[in-house]
Amino acid sequence: MVLALLTVRGLTKTYGPACRGRGSEGCLLDREDDPGTSSCAACGLIAACSDVSFDVYPGEVLGIVGESGSGKTTVMRSLYLDHMPTSGEAYFAAFEAGRHNIFEADRPQRRRIRNYLMGIVYQEARRGLNLLVTAGGNVAERLLAADWRSVADIRSKAADYLARTEVPLDRMDDFPAFFSNGMQQRVQIAKALSNSPNLVLLDEPTTGLDVSVQAGVLDLIRDIRRDFRVAIVVVSHDLSVIGMLAERTLVMRHGRVVESGLTDQILEDPQHPYTQLLVSSAL
Amino acid sequence: MATIAELLERSGSRHSGYSYAFLDETAKRDLRRAMLKAVAIPGYQVPFGSREVPVAKGFGTGGLQITLSIIGPGDVIKVIDQGDDAGVNANNIRRLIERTTGLDTTLETAGATVIQTRHRVPEEVLREDQVLVLQVPYPEPLRLVERSQTAARTMHAEKDYARMWLALYEDVVRKGEVTIGAGYPVVVNHRYVMASTPVPRWDLPKLHRSKALHLFGAGREKRLYAIPPHTDVAPMEFEDHPFEVEGFGGTPCARCGAAATFLTERLNADGSRTLTCSDTAYCDLRLTGGKAETWY
Repeated sequence: MVLALLTVRGLTKTYGPACRGRGSEGCLLDREDDPGTSSCAACGLIAACSDVSFDVYPGEVLGIVGESGSGKTTVMRSLYLDHMPTSGEAYFAAFEAGRHNIFEADRPQRRRIRNYLMGIVYQEARRGLNLLVTAGGNVAERLLAADWRSVADIRSKAADYLARTEVPLDRMDDFPAFFSNGMQQRVQIAKALSNSPNLVLLDEPTTGLDVSVQAGVLDLIRDIRRDFRVAIVVVSHDLSVIGMLAERTLVMRHGRVVESGLTDQILEDPQHPYTQLLVSSAL
Repeated sequence: MATIAELLERSGSRHSGYSYAFLDETAKRDLRRAMLKAVAIPGYQVPFGSREVPVAKGFGTGGLQITLSIIGPGDVIKVIDQGDDAGVNANNIRRLIERTTGLDTTLETAGATVIQTRHRVPEEVLREDQVLVLQVPYPEPLRLVERSQTAARTMHAEKDYARMWLALYEDVVRKGEVTIGAGYPVVVNHRYVMASTPVPRWDLPKLHRSKALHLFGAGREKRLYAIPPHTDVAPMEFEDHPFEVEGFGGTPCARCGAAATFLTERLNADGSRTLTCSDTAYCDLRLTGGKAETWY
């Protein structure tokens, strides 16, 4: 049996007070089925994601697909510890040998997880990049955090990663604010890969890019996965992106996982009505 | 132990309506308590309740409050502004201290027990029994890279200085060197990154393992911090781009002929420019044939 790199159990992120155990209707959080909404009719609680569980194995690509508002990004930001979930556990093999819940890590440990063990690519480049810092500097930030103190070494390492992600090296000392969206995404990917993380989170990496650039970025992600042997969780609302990249897929709706399995299976033989709708509308 | 009234009477204070050294005793106690903490945690910014003093905020109120709370009978005070004893700011502060304490003041670095300064460290080596009080405009070194004070404090607490290093890296990449002239960030006691007030880079080596106590006060920002004697102070630098002090191309002081001091440019009536020592007390000392131990 292969040990999971990341084990997520019962990940829940809610906003507002819950009415659990009170009221006759039963709180949204207590319902087992898809409630058809993310907000509780009784208490007004918003459940961005509720009771999400999954495993990621070393070197695999896991896709998360769903409509907007289904909680995909909330899951990603929770995993990258951008915010703390309301409840749930996640065990990451690279952190304390997977014995401790990463959501209970203290702040220096959280910083270590974010700077050394994981990388993330956000949908909006401005969230992941500092646009007032050069492309090379954005990649260098993680190296500097890892106590690299030689400008020449940092530059050659940053140049290496930027070259791997096909960012022209003569643009290395330019500001990403002046780059095209596709190139900004490639700088983000280079930044996520510096420090050789064990897990890379891709949050809608190709959304908003035109089709030819999308293809280029998808090719790059596939190459990276092959070259770096890194596990990837990719979030997208686009089934074709998931179909290209992911071996296994979760389908999310209203903050819950409604279906999960091999990507081929989900695309060819969707079980849940929502997945069926998703597949038929994509075709 | 003399009472405050006795001290005032003995000093011949001309402002009998005020406490000794202007600040009331509770204020001084609050400041001293903050200073003790600052000395215990070198380079850490300690908040304190900044009082109103008869000097506008931004004109050395932090340094002045520190000076007023640590001086007492027997102290000799020296006040300098950019190295110059004759600066307007220095004169005003010196006069205030004289009038509210009756203490002696001096222009000589060696003769002073407490030296309040703005933007310079004296050229003469300070002794164990001397205290240097520096006026600080912006105590937060991370302000350059982080606008939120709360976030900056968290970064200090976690020793998370990657963004500061990134700012220096960007400077090197885009301009070939770190271009911060005054107020170069230093690491104190291998722990806290500290704003070295706007002293020139020239003065930074003097802070490293100095025998004197250095106290930094920012009145407007309500923060004070300290470098205790014999503390390690290291400028942030890259292995392949080491920290360097300013150079003057070997030009000596036009007044006293000193070859290695920090020089300041003066504009003459005919439009020409001459470079003279920024530390006027040291320049005068050399002109009168005096000797002093310097850093060079």
